[in-house]
Amino acid sequence: MNIEDLVGHIGERLGLQCLSGRLGFDRLLTSPDVSRPGLCLTGYTHKFLSHRIQIFGETEITMLSEMNPGKRNKALSNVFSFPVICSIVAKGLEVPSELLDASVKAGAALFRSPRDTTPLINDLTAFLNEVFAPREVLHGTLVDVFGEGVLCVGRSAIGKSEAVLGLVERGHRLIADDTVSVRRNGDTLLGSGDPVIGYHMELRGLGFVNVPELFGVGAVKERQQLDLVVRLVDADRMGEMDRSGLETLTTEILGLSVPLVEIPVLPGRNLTVLLEVAAMLNIRRKNTGSTSSEQLNQTLLEKLQQRRGPDYPP
Amino acid sequence: MKTRTLTVPNKLGIHARPAALIVRKASEYRSEVFISNGVDEVNAKSIMGVMTLAAAGGTKISISTDGPDEDSALEGVCAVIDTGFGEEML
Repeated sequence: MNIEDLVGHIGERLGLQCLSGRLGFDRLLTSPDVSRPGLCLTGYTHKFLSHRIQIFGETEITMLSEMNPGKRNKALSNVFSFPVICSIVAKGLEVPSELLDASVKAGAALFRSPRDTTPLINDLTAFLNEVFAPREVLHGTLVDVFGEGVLCVGRSAIGKSEAVLGLVERGHRLIADDTVSVRRNGDTLLGSGDPVIGYHMELRGLGFVNVPELFGVGAVKERQQLDLVVRLVDADRMGEMDRSGLETLTTEILGLSVPLVEIPVLPGRNLTVLLEVAAMLNIRRKNTGSTSSEQLNQTLLEKLQQRRGPDYPP
Repeated sequence: MKTRTLTVPNKLGIHARPAALIVRKASEYRSEVFISNGVDEVNAKSIMGVMTLAAAGGTKISISTDGPDEDSALEGVCAVIDTGFGEEML
């Protein structure tokens, strides 16, 4: 992302007014963080982070205005002797002419925003964190089932879209079919669709279906946290699967571990209902800290313990 | 029809995990496989059935198999039980 993209995306939201023409608009952003250049203005240039967007708040601008012109130029040259990527003056403050001159001379863009410094920094870093977040495109269908983000995966033509179509019909919400873009935000994963494909689903024999057009706007959702991966597997894999329900599987996405459930596909199995139950079980597990299988087994183990009776050594 | 009687060798008895191992093995065969604790007889291909037996460690159980591969089914299922499911033995 370069400065031009930045302005295009959030220039309006932050009320960015460009004071330096389109100077330095092709410079590439390399960090989601911002920098306050106050210390650098005082002459402490060690570890100055010039590759970050420089935010001139009231502190910096007041300090500059209290200096005599000579000192002011010296202070600014401390900053702009580095390859500053661009600068923003916050709070709609009066921009000292020396700041504009120094910025133009360095070929870096200078903006002014009416926003207060802290909210400006918060919004800017929130946006940049999104831009710089690790992301991955996954093959699958993402649907919100009772608030749980369920990513349905499996080999091509196994019936992911059909299963999810059933969920949509039951009132759950589609986020993306076939191609899901997943972004990591701290300890959570956020999934969204492709802007071109939008909320279309491909159903063999019917072609492309525009989901909100057919089912209403309530049938879709723009983005969703990913809570569970359900993998549809061929029935011949069933023999090797755990039946006790005690084995919990996980899969890794962008370095985070996500609960995984494998559902074998067989004629007569209602995948839609099974997906819905998988989501409900995931909610239950999070609420109670254990699964139904674990609780049932606990009951059984207690009964087995009683049955062994006094004849057995402890 | 083949039958063999044996003792549940592990300390915890047939809880969910051993039950799953028995069911998985029994399901490999075409023959019908049953387990009995002397009171109830259940289908060894049904995990819920096997759990219902609540066969504690040291309990006598009998395995019956009936079908085209009843010999190997009996051997296979008994072998799973005799190994103690990889758990602590009595």
